[in-house]
Amino acid sequence: MARWGMVIDLDKCFACQSCTLACRMENNTPVAGPDQASRGRAILWNEVLPFVEGEYPEVTMALIPRPCQHCDNPPCTKVCPVKATYKDEEGIVCIDYGRCIGCRFCTVACPYQVRYFNWYRPEWPEALKEHLNPDPEVAPRPKGVVEKCTFCIQRLRKAREGAEAEGRPFTATDYTPACVQTCTGRARYFGDLDDPNSLVSQLAASPRAFRLLEEMGTQPKVYYLKQG
Amino acid sequence: MDKISRRDFIKIGSTATAVGAAVAAASGTRALLEQGGATATDHSGATAATSFTETWVKTTCALCPSGCGLDVRVVHGKAVKVEGNPLHPLNQGVCCLKGQAAPEVLYSPERIQHSRLQTGGRGGGDWQEIPWDEALKLVADKLVELRASGQAHTVAFIHGETRGQMRALINRFMAAYGSPNVISQDSLDEQAARLAMFLTQGINGIPVYDLNNASYVMTFGGNLLEASRHVISYLSSLAFMRRGRPQRGKLVAVHPRMSLTGTKADEWVPIRPGTYGALALGMAGVIINSGLYDADFVRDFTFGFDDFEDEAGTLHMGFKRLVLEAYPLDRVESITGVPAADIARLAGEFAINRPAVAVMPTEPGGLASGNGSYTGMAIHALNALVGSIDVPGGVLVQRFPNLADWPEVTPDTAGEASLLQERVDGAGSDVMPLALSAYQNVADRILADEPYPVNLLFFYNANPVYDAPNGDRFAQALKKVPFVVSFASTLDESAAHADLILPASTFLEVWGDDYIEGTGYAGVSLRRPVVEPVHDTRNPGDVLLSLAAEVGGPLGDGLPWRDYKELVEYRLSGLDMDWAKFEENGTWSEMVYFNAAPGSPAWGNVVGRDRLNAPKDGRFDFFSRELFAAMATPHDNDCLPRFELPVTGESADIGAYPFLLVTQTLITQPRSWEGIVPSLQEAYGLQTNMKWSSWVEVNPRAAEALGVKNGDLVWVESAVGRLKAPVRLYEGIWPNAVYMPPGQGHRTLVKWGRDSEVSVVIGANANKLLVADTEPLGGLAALSPTRVRIYKA
Repeated sequence: MARWGMVIDLDKCFACQSCTLACRMENNTPVAGPDQASRGRAILWNEVLPFVEGEYPEVTMALIPRPCQHCDNPPCTKVCPVKATYKDEEGIVCIDYGRCIGCRFCTVACPYQVRYFNWYRPEWPEALKEHLNPDPEVAPRPKGVVEKCTFCIQRLRKAREGAEAEGRPFTATDYTPACVQTCTGRARYFGDLDDPNSLVSQLAASPRAFRLLEEMGTQPKVYYLKQG
Repeated sequence: MDKISRRDFIKIGSTATAVGAAVAAASGTRALLEQGGATATDHSGATAATSFTETWVKTTCALCPSGCGLDVRVVHGKAVKVEGNPLHPLNQGVCCLKGQAAPEVLYSPERIQHSRLQTGGRGGGDWQEIPWDEALKLVADKLVELRASGQAHTVAFIHGETRGQMRALINRFMAAYGSPNVISQDSLDEQAARLAMFLTQGINGIPVYDLNNASYVMTFGGNLLEASRHVISYLSSLAFMRRGRPQRGKLVAVHPRMSLTGTKADEWVPIRPGTYGALALGMAGVIINSGLYDADFVRDFTFGFDDFEDEAGTLHMGFKRLVLEAYPLDRVESITGVPAADIARLAGEFAINRPAVAVMPTEPGGLASGNGSYTGMAIHALNALVGSIDVPGGVLVQRFPNLADWPEVTPDTAGEASLLQERVDGAGSDVMPLALSAYQNVADRILADEPYPVNLLFFYNANPVYDAPNGDRFAQALKKVPFVVSFASTLDESAAHADLILPASTFLEVWGDDYIEGTGYAGVSLRRPVVEPVHDTRNPGDVLLSLAAEVGGPLGDGLPWRDYKELVEYRLSGLDMDWAKFEENGTWSEMVYFNAAPGSPAWGNVVGRDRLNAPKDGRFDFFSRELFAAMATPHDNDCLPRFELPVTGESADIGAYPFLLVTQTLITQPRSWEGIVPSLQEAYGLQTNMKWSSWVEVNPRAAEALGVKNGDLVWVESAVGRLKAPVRLYEGIWPNAVYMPPGQGHRTLVKWGRDSEVSVVIGANANKLLVADTEPLGGLAALSPTRVRIYKA
């Protein structure tokens, strides 16, 4: 059984936000529009966050792409009163939208703020519904549930089906989330952290590797490599 | 299913454990129902069967000048996801955020769905849909009528970003018809770099920078990683420069505002707006003074480095004396605001860490300070100083494939005479002998009937009422033209003033091609319909061919193809390739770039190839002999790279307008689409966290003096207009400069998301503040920085 993880090399990431848009198109997160966006309700599972440091002219800015960290010790699952959010056998933190009662305890508990609440039934201008991804896992979520990055879990299912159809065993490299596939700087790596020969497990052991808010003990499966 | 209750959700949810199952059962979206959706799931979360079939179609993007290969996922005839085409040499499988958002362009609710005629007053909005045949006949009749009365030259065709055979088709269409007036938008953006390249290196082309092999990259104003001409390959190359090879390179970004390029660069050098030329010349002085330049290359393959005597025995000043006398470090520091010690250090780093390249901007506003040609020449002179011309890691010359020849056209006498008329934009006239087009001039010249009244105007991929400086003048000019035809896909600001709209299909619905650029080596990329046309729109290429057939004469003879696909097939038939394989791969290219050894026979292709009046002697001109030939009474100073104060920043009343408004294109800005792309809007201002909006970036120190805080609404006012925008305090901007994002300020009639208004202007159009001028010689637009003042709204 794989333990899926991601490595993002900040030295190769140029904050182009292709991951952000690829994620939206793959996972059918709705268009928030000017009103909801101005209330901070835009749903982008894979946002890039800016952090400015210093004063002009000695100013630097860290730009951190932030998907769900898929913690091995996730705070969100522990507070869910209905077991709607859980970590599956392969380490992916999932949400059962049918179980979710919208209490948003998980949203508060998540120190990375990756969980988004559907304040309304998602709306698109009619014409734009044509391009929605028909994969069942990403059918637009109903009003009142929480959603977030799933490592494109539909792609895992499709990769397994594809391997089966070709009559060969499924391997970790068959499975690539949308953000990884499109990354213009090829800064994202994805794979099985438990496989010592995988690129992700080796990069995760790099001296440049760190995880966000590591001191909280959440044990994220998203690693970052320092810039420079 | 929409009315499903809360309780039902919980009930259904409790029976399912997998993510997919619950969603499939409960949400019942239209997409799911239409596609059949999932039929069953097991407890591992794997769907046992999904009933839809999907195909992947390769095509070529058109949302920015890169022209990347795309691989589009099509399910049940709908384009649902875009990936990069791994076989395309430029993007090699990756895809930027604009390409990702392409389905939102294809299915945009703002698209014009049928050809339409404006029946009331122009700009009034009384549109009536008319059949295509009728619309085309209307245009063809006008064309025939004007041509018959000797007025062919009074037809003008204004176009924006256009590549591949389409650009050639437009030029050929107009030439065969008999009008010199094809006016491209290039004078706003890439023409400066092209001109600097021509005046020094003798190549009429956009330089390609070989960043994969460069050790040191210094970009002067160019927002290399967001908006440059070949942005996608530069993103990948920079990643490779850092982590893909044993030796790490260094990236330095010079700009008054810290863009994403500045942020992610190894060093950001803030500089006073419009003064890149002085910095480059100051650096050249240091490199020459310290003897760090490539002396062999300079001696054998350049012209005008040292003082020289011409054939008549007149002594001329060389580049060396000019920079040493006129650009000492203290002067350059006072012009640019970059500390002398930093200039010296940067110059040393640049000269020592070879191969090094100095990068010119190609995006709007990059070299638009009224000193663009000389600034470009100064920047490019650095490349010659360190011998970076056509070496690995240096400046490459983009090659294009040899395609099948266009059929001969024999113009009739009427056409020949009208072709020789002066152009509507004044390009090529005595004032602008080197200009290819001067887009920003058109409005004023039409209003003044200069050089003659325009009777018919086409717009393709251009929206001057919005994007030309002071576009309101353009709206007035359009009112003066008796017949205006637009190929707009959405009702943009210029199309609103048209008589007739022949709506263009999007790039995902048409056949076409694109040259592969940014690799150096030659190649073509195929554009093909990914889905059936969503609306009753047409490929503008097909429309031009229909018009040519209808008008006949030399125009019909010159463009004998039934449709645009046939034209592309014909032109590409000159390539030795298998068409079926080309369709399958979506791309064909030579896959290798041969650097020319200086002095070798191939060298003539990279230095001097396109010179008109200067010798093709394989020498890079520090002293531009092309300029010397183009000017009536040239002074030595006029032929050498030099620094002039930005005209735009100095001409206004400095006391009344204390700030300099700078421009910089963002990566989130769609470049060839005038409508709203909602997901790009939701990611628009990454560094300031602004969505669906404009803003004005102000340095916190300046804001303090003004008494404005983050989020305050302010007026930004120039001599020609004012706009309201919220303030974003930003440490990464020159204290005396302010920045507003381009690309905003379009009106939309669509309700984007809950509680959003219908018919609202998203953000503000910063072009409305720009004071327009035209640079002599090259006809470049001079518009940045524009002086503004800021006060609370």
